[in-house]
Order: sequence, then C-alpha cells, then structure tokens
Amino acid sequence: MLKFLIFRGLYALPVLLGVALIVFIALHLAPGDVTQQILGLGASEERAQALRIQLGLDRPVLVQFFIWLGNLLQGDLGMSHYMNVPVVDVLSRKIGNSLILTGGSLFIVVLISFVLGTMSAARFRRPFDRFTVVLSLLLASMPVFWLGLIFLYAFGIIWPIFPTAGMYDLKNPGGVLDVLHHLVLPATATAAAGVAIMTRVTRASLIEVLGQPYIMAARARGLKERAVVYGHGVRNILPQFVNMTGLNVGFLFGSSVFAEVIFTWPGIGLQLYDSILKRDGAMVQGCVLAIAFVFVLSNLIADFVVYVLDAKKK
Amino acid sequence: MFLINASECLVDRSGLSRRLIGLIASMIIGVMVTVSPVYAQDKTITIAVEGDPTRLDPHTHGLWLTYRVVYHIFEGLVQQDLSRDDVHIPPIIPALAESWDISADGKTYTFNLRRDVKFHDGTDWNAEAAKFNFDRLLDPDAPHFLETAVGGNGWWIGDIESYEAADSHTFVVHLKTPVSNFLQRLVNGGYGSAAMSSPTAIKKYGEDFGNNPVGTGPFKLAERVFGEKIVLEKNSDYWDPTRTPKYDRLIYQPIAEDAARELALISGGADIIASPTPDSYDYIRDKGFEIVSKSGPGLQALWLNMKDPKLADVRVRQAMYMAIDREGLCTLLRLNECLPHYSIINRHGPGYDEAFVPYSYDPEKAKQLLADAGYPDGLDIRFEWGAGGAGAVGTKAFVEWVQRDWEKVGIRTELVSYDIGAYFGQMLKGMRDGTQVMTIGWGETSYIWLEFVITPDALPPNGYNSGYYDNPELGAVMKQVKTALTEEEMVDRLKDVAKIIADDVAWIPVYAYKLAFAVSPRIKGFVLAPENWQDLTLLEIVE
Repeated sequence: MLKFLIFRGLYALPVLLGVALIVFIALHLAPGDVTQQILGLGASEERAQALRIQLGLDRPVLVQFFIWLGNLLQGDLGMSHYMNVPVVDVLSRKIGNSLILTGGSLFIVVLISFVLGTMSAARFRRPFDRFTVVLSLLLASMPVFWLGLIFLYAFGIIWPIFPTAGMYDLKNPGGVLDVLHHLVLPATATAAAGVAIMTRVTRASLIEVLGQPYIMAARARGLKERAVVYGHGVRNILPQFVNMTGLNVGFLFGSSVFAEVIFTWPGIGLQLYDSILKRDGAMVQGCVLAIAFVFVLSNLIADFVVYVLDAKKK
Repeated sequence: MFLINASECLVDRSGLSRRLIGLIASMIIGVMVTVSPVYAQDKTITIAVEGDPTRLDPHTHGLWLTYRVVYHIFEGLVQQDLSRDDVHIPPIIPALAESWDISADGKTYTFNLRRDVKFHDGTDWNAEAAKFNFDRLLDPDAPHFLETAVGGNGWWIGDIESYEAADSHTFVVHLKTPVSNFLQRLVNGGYGSAAMSSPTAIKKYGEDFGNNPVGTGPFKLAERVFGEKIVLEKNSDYWDPTRTPKYDRLIYQPIAEDAARELALISGGADIIASPTPDSYDYIRDKGFEIVSKSGPGLQALWLNMKDPKLADVRVRQAMYMAIDREGLCTLLRLNECLPHYSIINRHGPGYDEAFVPYSYDPEKAKQLLADAGYPDGLDIRFEWGAGGAGAVGTKAFVEWVQRDWEKVGIRTELVSYDIGAYFGQMLKGMRDGTQVMTIGWGETSYIWLEFVITPDALPPNGYNSGYYDNPELGAVMKQVKTALTEEEMVDRLKDVAKIIADDVAWIPVYAYKLAFAVSPRIKGFVLAPENWQDLTLLEIVE
C-alpha cells in the first residue's frame, strides 16, 4: 500500500510541474505590463525599467521560472503586487471557501446522481429512464455561467428566497446556517453539469453490471428484483462510483470559478478572475496551481480509496 | 484503475457505507467550522462596488476604485467640497491646513496647519508629519523613501523644488515654476495622492502600510478580507463635526458581476451600489430604490493613429468625426446616460465650453470629404478596444455604434477587442501598425490628465499619446496652461488647446459619461458631486 501511495504521489509531480510551467509561460506571453499596473498611468519608462530590474523581470524567462520554482518548493508563492501580501496568505483562506463550495456541490452531485442513475438503470428504457436521460442531457448542456444568471433571475427577482451575493450577510452574519443559505445557489449551479455526467455514468455502469451472468444467476435463484438491483448490482458499481466522484472533485473545483464570479463567492475562482484583470501575476499563478493541486490531490485520494476497496477483497 | 472486473468486486458493504457517511459528514463539518465575525446591531451602511480595491496606501493606491476608500481614511492639506452636486468643479476647501498663502510669483505656498488633530493611532499632526510624508516621495535619502511610488505621483510632486517645516504648524512648499492648479493637484486621486499618512505607522509597517493604513480621516480601517469586504469604522475624534459620520460602520463589498450587484441592492444586502446598468434603471426604480446619476468628469474619445497613411489627410479624420451620430448614441443606445461631447476638454474640467462644437453630425459632408481625400469608395480601418475597467459600462455597444455610423459613409471597420490589462499595455506601447483607432474613457476635474495624453512628452512609452500626435505648438500651449498665474489665463489657454486638437482632429471626442449609483430608501444624504469619488460621510440612516 505504501508503495502504491509513493508511486501515485510521484506520478502527480510531473503533472504539477507541467501546470506550473504552462501557467508561467502563458502569463509571460500575454500582453500587458505589470510595471505599468504597479506604477500607474503617469510613470516614466525609466521608472518602469528600474522596477523591472527590481522585480527580476529583465532576466531570461527560464531563469525567472526556476527562481520562482525554487521559492515555490519552499512554500513561497511570491507577493501579490496589488495587495502587498504574500500570495500564500490569501490563497489559504480562499481555498477553504472554495472547498466549502465544492463540498456543497459534491454533496448535491453524489446524492442526486446516485439516486437518479441507479433508479433509471433499474427502469431501463422505461419512461423514468427516458426522462433522466433527457434531463441529464439538458443539465450537461448548461454552462455554469448561464445557469448562474438564470438562478440570479429566478431566485433573486422572481422568487427571492436565496441570497445571490457573497458567503454570508455582511451586516448580520448568522454563522453556519447563513453560510448554508448563501451556498445553495452557487453549489447547485456548479453541480448541474457534474450531476449530468455522474448520472449518465452511474446509469451506464449499472446497466452493464445488470447484464452480467452473475446477475442472471441471482435472478435464476429467485431473488426479488429489488434485491438483485440494489443488493448485487449497485454494490458492484460502488468502486467505480467512488472513482468518478474523485474525478469530479477536481472538475467541480474548476467549474466553481464561474459560479464564484457570478455569485460573488469569495473563493479562489473569484480571486483568479480579479487577479487576471489586474495582471497580478504571482496571484494568478498561485490560484491556478492551487486548483491543479486540488485536482491532482482529489484524484489521488479517489485512487487510494478504490485501491483500498479493491485490496480488501483480495 | 477504471476497469474493475465486476465479479471480483463484492466489497464489504457496511465498510463502504461507513466511508460514504464519513465523507458526507466531513463535508458538513467543513461547513460548520466556518465561523464568521459577528458585529453588534449598530448602524452599518454597505456599499457594493465594481471590484476589489487595491492596497490602501494613499501614495500608491493605483485606482480610482481604491481612492474612493482611501479618501475616507486619509486627507491632505486641502480637500474638495463634495457636498454639492450643482458645481462645475468641486471647490477646494481647507483640510489639514486651516489656511494658506500663495506668493505673488505663484511659486511659494505657505500652509498654516490645523492644530489639535491626531492620526488614528494618536500621532500628532504637525509640520514634521507633513514633511515626513513629502520625504516618502521626494527625499531619496529618507529611510522610508518609496522609490516605486515616485513615477506614479509625478503629476503632483514633479514641480516641487523644496519644502520645509517653518515652525511646528507652518509648512512651506516651493515650486520650480508657477503651477496654475497646484492646489487641485493636492486633492486629486490618480495613481497616488497627496494625502497624509501617520509617520509612526509608516515607520512601523514600511511597504506594508497599505494593509495597515492610518490617516486622519473621518473613518478608520477596522477589518479587511481580500475579495470580500473592507470594513471602515467611524472616527469619533474627527476634527470636523460636519463630516463626522452619523453612523458607525461603512462596509465596501466588491461585486464584479453587474446583475449580482443590482440584486444585492434589491435584496437588501447592499444599501448603495456603484454603476447600475441603464437597462435596469426602471426595474430598480420600480422596486423603490433611487437612481442617482449625474454628468461626471469622464469623457469617451477615439484616439487616432496620426502616423497611419490612411489617416494622413485631415479630411479623412474630419469625415470620421462628422459621421458619428452622438445624439442618437446617447438617447437611443445609452438611454440618456451619457451626453454628446465634441471637445477634448472634458465636461467637468477647467476650460470646458459647451458651445464649442467644431464639427456637427453630417454624414453627407463626411462622404464628400472622403471622396475629396481620395477615398470615393471608402476605406478599411482597424479599431481596437478594451473590455472591462471601472465605469466602462457598454463599451462594446458603443464601438459597434461607431462601426455602424462609419459604415454608412463608407468606412469599413474591423473591431478587435482586448481585455483591459492587455489593452492599457498596448496603449502605452503606442498603436500597432495597421491600427487606426483606439478608445478609452478618461477625464478628471483638473487638466492633469491631458498632460498624460495629448502632449509630446506623453508619446509612447512615456504616456498615453498612443496615436503619436507630436505637435510642439500644442506642447508649448500646455506649458502656458500649467504656468498660468491666474485662473482666467489657464482657462483661456485650455480653450486654445481645444481648438488646436479640433483643427488637427487628433482625437475624436464622442460622449461624456454619467456617474451612476443606486441608493436604498433607507439611506439619506447621498450626494453625487461631479468627481470620480464621493463623500460618504454625509450619509444618514433613516429607519
């Protein structure tokens, strides 16, 4: 097991390194000058050049990358030019907020897709199954930013039962319930596409399992349909379900960027959006790296859970 | 990993359920542990703004968006009276200086400082503190000298020759040349400003002062969470009773998404929001909220590439100017949220003359001019614009309106858009070859911004004269504007500037945009003076 963990951990490293490199290069290729952002509109070219030297921006890109990487390994992601605070300080709080949002939407995804997926597979090609297929197709074709705006309209204007901005009431923060209340809309918007995918996958894998000889054997033994489907069928798709759930964490974390911007959820996505507009390079790199890190980590955990489940029966 | 032989997968059922339950439980606990700070039920006003302000350092705040906050924590020697919305330019009134004398040659300013004023941390305000602040930008030998801030503050420190604390409450500034609007420069909030910070706090925090701002203003910083909120607390010891806030707490909440900002107002989350979109005005009014909108100093203009061969003939540029239907744009497209504008002098800037309309809307004449200039079949041009930026509502619709108007006279326009950060970078580099037009909105209640835009000194990469308009005569007139000894002289020279730019058609002004806020009926006393920032100390809560 330890070997497995180490192997998978090492496997994640090149992925993170690749992400770091791509982000770093992309930011260098994008037009726009950070010195101008720092020094303001009226600054002279001499000042800008002096600042470039101070920030090390005059050095070759590759050298800058390795300096940055070296700092990264020491847990130093640099300073945000705009806010004059270490990137790590901002990120640590933002990741927490984003994970709350991701957690909320994961909860919705797991619950709904599991119920819908298994129920429709058990009713293969019956009306409920058709309905689920169409529903998941619809959900999968709704981008988060579109659905988010529809939610704003529906639950902000027509039927204002949920708050549409922020994570808690700024004037009278109400603790956990307040956060949960604010969580409903962004979490649901983020979850939509995930629900669609997971429902489809759950349904398909259960249909496949239900066609296996041992299910036929179970039926032949005269077990009730309910016991066959939920007892033998569903149990056998669980490892795959867990695996898919793990993949979804990263996916949800990535899509929450859009929900965060629309619903002003103060997470890493909103921070990323704001930092891109301000050309706050260190911050952008930190945000993207953090998202990649959560993605890789959640896959790692899913793999590990499946491995444990798998190992247990051996 | 994905292909699992189903027949081998008979897992221990109870164990797996336990894991699933564990997973769900840990998610719920994750939510539970988020603890929010709780304020007592006192008088709080929330304002939702377009983006997250930057560092709250009055010398390096960088954006108007941030200056709106900085303005409430800090103040300078003088300040603007923003309690009136019926003025052309907000008048300058005493602040940390009770009075001042200007020498006859216009080069020496003697400020008599207010006594018994303390910074929020208890440090005394006096001439030494004023000198300390000037040293931060002007004395390379001072330990707290902030080199990165020098360039961005050049517009107000550039002409200062020397300064001294004559006695404990007299501060004297000597200028190299007379500067016609030096006091105006002391109240402007550009990249930086001349606001006064606590010397004790600057010594203590250094470059991190922006996260620990200490001024003398009517509010102090209570708490800041990046991307979430900035909480200001009333300064009960403020020296000016008329500007001492009548409420306890002012919270800025950044909400970038327009629709979400408007909903925050309607749902009661925010008491005031900046920049509602004109399309929503009726809806917001129907819900019982007030829209406050007024013409501001901002001006949307087209920058023309004076190096481009296609635009070399002034008649082509005149045709471009005359082909735009500004009235239609403002009434039909902008629903009266902008005003047609014809001069490079902005609406609430010195020297503005409403009667000055060098060329009026005349598409027929425009076609004729193009034909005379050798383009009877029209011409193709490229127009670059930037999406985003504070106060830039509906830029896309605007550039498409111009494209449509030009198309009618035979100017076929290719529109190329950038995000705002990249766009400003491009502006500073100067227009690319093959690009004829760019556009931004700018304008201040002083003429300082023109020094960054139209003068030969502002040619790329030193300024935003991005279309390479290199006219030494204009440069000379701008110097006269700056060194004018009387306001009349300054205004007269600015009128000359308007005329020179119009004769050369080096810029095409299109409209002056209005400032807009939406205010809850719970709030009284919101005044929208013609300035890019507002005085929120005047607000009152009516329950």
